[in-house]
Amino acid sequence: MIQTIRIGRLLRETAAAPYRNLVTRPTGAAVRSRIEETLARSECLTAFLDFSEIELLDLSCADEVVAKLLLAHLIRETRFLVLQGLREDQHEAIEHVLTHHRLAVAAVALPGAGESGPRLLGWVTADARLAFACVCDHGPLSHQDLARRLAWSDARSQGTLQGLAVYRLVRPLGNLYHPLPFS
Amino acid sequence: MTRIIEVPAHLDDRSFDQFAAGFGGWPPEEKVLLDARGAQWASPYGLIGMLTAGQALAEANRDKPLFTIPLSDDVKRYWTRAGFFRYAGDLFELHGKVPKVSATGPSDVLLDVTPVRATEDVHEVVEKISESASRILHGELGLEMKATLRFSMALSEACQNIVEHAGTSGWVAVQAYTFRRRLGRRVVVIAVSDAGVGFRRSLEAVHAQRFGERWGDGAALEAALIQGVSRFRDTGRGQGLAFIKRFLDLWKGKISIRSGTARLSIVPPWDEDVPLSEHLPFFPGAQVQIIIPAQDAPR
Repeated sequence: MIQTIRIGRLLRETAAAPYRNLVTRPTGAAVRSRIEETLARSECLTAFLDFSEIELLDLSCADEVVAKLLLAHLIRETRFLVLQGLREDQHEAIEHVLTHHRLAVAAVALPGAGESGPRLLGWVTADARLAFACVCDHGPLSHQDLARRLAWSDARSQGTLQGLAVYRLVRPLGNLYHPLPFS
Repeated sequence: MTRIIEVPAHLDDRSFDQFAAGFGGWPPEEKVLLDARGAQWASPYGLIGMLTAGQALAEANRDKPLFTIPLSDDVKRYWTRAGFFRYAGDLFELHGKVPKVSATGPSDVLLDVTPVRATEDVHEVVEKISESASRILHGELGLEMKATLRFSMALSEACQNIVEHAGTSGWVAVQAYTFRRRLGRRVVVIAVSDAGVGFRRSLEAVHAQRFGERWGDGAALEAALIQGVSRFRDTGRGQGLAFIKRFLDLWKGKISIRSGTARLSIVPPWDEDVPLSEHLPFFPGAQVQIIIPAQDAPR
């Protein structure tokens, strides 16, 4: 089950003002706390954080909202988090803070936005990008399947998929690695 | 006794040290008079620097300082239009007639002098500037469209430094003008100033030991701007200035931060400033200036 959380609405409710810009640490922390409350009430396995109503996302909020949320959910190993509806120029702040924390997240366009598939933002190796794309394109794969498709060694393939699973960018079930549900 | 401090005819980041020297030891014992009668021009940095002086004197429980306003009608009008006198009247006993200037619509003043006291003020500043920033940065300076968001992020991070670190309020102003002598191009300048504890005191408890005898205003600025440290132990902190520095490198922009007795600058090829100046006349708090030049020939 997927839950979509509209960050723009949470911002307006938190700030009690019609703001479009997600800026300042206290605001970011308050929005993160509202996201956590929403997730605590939900039984979803995957949550889409929808940024499409946000104009500016500053570094402080990228850190407070995205990085700290990812860190918390990596530790708890609870949900899969996906960013949705980010504009190209908002990627920069998220890339910057996630790289700083050595974290990564998957991002998708809004449905019907005409963009190609999901992409990874943050601290991601070239191998991880290739493996992630392969799993997204072909569906559940074992590490042997991935090794065959990319002409990699088993060890390389297994290490890369395990790395993606640790960062909750693919979902391991049995000996298969599943893509996150992006739609 | 009254200490008379002459406001330099051209008050900007370069002449600011002369202005700061006028106060002698801080805070000055005597009543202060800022004499701006001969002023011909002031950058946003200069305007909010004067307000910071007034604020710092008030916070040091000194007598309300006197301020003689510029004789030049043009200068008076410009300072009024930039919002200087809206706040100067609270901080200084003004002498001279302040003109009543009506709103003039879009102008070179992207953001008039604005107080930054709390998080809400940072939100207001960012909301207010987004439209004019795009018009000036993309339309006039020839920067790519995404520059507008980077610019707003820089503004947001610079203003947040006041709220998070200064321990008091501060000021911000943004203006576009032509750097005739230094660059021969249009620039946008963000100036942010506060009368707070300054970088050295803000970072001292966590970082002074590591620097040993080198610790001082200059080392504190280096730690913040070059090494990206913060007084908070949260590992996500301290990235704001590093990010600003990164995109200023792309645009050949300049950032300089003055705090206490030191000033640290990331100097682009078109400027002749020195990277680090120490043993400057003391001035309270921190003053940040970010300059973004036009990318092509002047328009």
